[in-house]
Amino acid sequence: MIQTVEKYYFDGTWTNTYIITYTNNETVQAPHDTANRHYQEILEWVAAGNTITDPGA
Amino acid sequence: MGYIGNFPTALPLTSSDLPDDIVTSAKIADGTITATDTDGSIGKPAFKNLIINGDMSIAQRGTSTSSVSGNGYFASDRFKNIIGSLGTWTVSQSTDVPTGQGFATSLKMDCTTADASPSASDNNMVAQIIEGQNAQLLKKGTSNAESVTLSFWVKSNKTGTYICELYDVDNTRQISQAYTISSSNTWEKKTLSYVGDTTGTLDNDNGASLQLNFFLATGSDRSSGTLSTTWTSVTNANRAVGQVNLADSTSNEWYVTGVQLEVGEFDSTTIPSFPFESYASNLQKCKRYFQYSVMGYYGDTSGGGYGGAATFAVEHRATPSYLSAYSSIIEANNRFNTTVIANANNLSQYGLLAQKAQSASNDSGYYFAKMATDAEL
Repeated sequence: MIQTVEKYYFDGTWTNTYIITYTNNETVQAPHDTANRHYQEILEWVAAGNTITDPGA
Repeated sequence: MGYIGNFPTALPLTSSDLPDDIVTSAKIADGTITATDTDGSIGKPAFKNLIINGDMSIAQRGTSTSSVSGNGYFASDRFKNIIGSLGTWTVSQSTDVPTGQGFATSLKMDCTTADASPSASDNNMVAQIIEGQNAQLLKKGTSNAESVTLSFWVKSNKTGTYICELYDVDNTRQISQAYTISSSNTWEKKTLSYVGDTTGTLDNDNGASLQLNFFLATGSDRSSGTLSTTWTSVTNANRAVGQVNLADSTSNEWYVTGVQLEVGEFDSTTIPSFPFESYASNLQKCKRYFQYSVMGYYGDTSGGGYGGAATFAVEHRATPSYLSAYSSIIEANNRFNTTVIANANNLSQYGLLAQKAQSASNDSGYYFAKMATDAEL
């Protein structure tokens, strides 16, 4: 189950990816791509009322 | 014709006696060659089994994962556990196989926390999800829709009725068939046929289109109706009627191997033998969905970051996720950070780029890592 989702930046630029942290502390880096199953999980998580953290550049 | 001496001995004609191209189709009477003269492959698609890794021989993520109580891919590649609040399991690649059938591995589900009274919405399945572009040969949604036959070897201490379902993800349609495990702890071969579906075409793309579900347990939401044995729009209550509860005891185990989904209608005597392939060939197919690649870096640096690029051995199905938990250091000079790179800078279906800060500076060194990426459905 997803605990948090955060946009991942490198050198001040968003990498088009997200860091998912699950409740068991496992992390997965998912691309912003609707064909990716982890990104599909993010969309469901957001639809359930959760918010992606954006630490900014 | 007369002969001097011994009469010539009749020898069987071999292919070396026939010049190339001398036997043409015009010289073969219609109906002379029948299916029994062949290995069953005439008139069938070149790739026979719609299931990848049906012999469970590839387990890139590892051969055993304990404490599994949710969705994910754990042991044998391409087989997904879909578990909604129905037991906790150890999922493993087992060497317990049917004797004399050529299999070396099976997928094992071992219940470690039981749930004897599932809630209505609880569910537990082992599934394989098939890309739409790999299922076009079924001609689904047309008047020429093909029947398919599912065959597999199964073993469990828990006897009774189990359900196998084909689920059309694109059109939310399904069809189920029941099978019975008759003898406890005995390998049994099951063959189930599913008629073709003239409704609902499958998308010709890299997305999920057809899903094979082995139900292991389920709540009343999916089992309180009448089992749907013809293709129909999904009514959840009709999907897994009669399914036993494999999660009702920590003594329960379920094994499967030799999973084969073939175009055509066969029974237990006519189903073609399992299409074994080499380990390497099977692995290549699995890598489209999960693979390891190697990223190396060597440099003379005065500090700052280091990193490199990895080209995938097989193009991924789609842009993959990077899984640092499955990644590892093969070797690294101690001047370089010896922990796995946590995140990639760039991910594409062809490769990845990753970079991180150096832990020491002012000398040369190297970093060589195995990076895990996942583009499963």
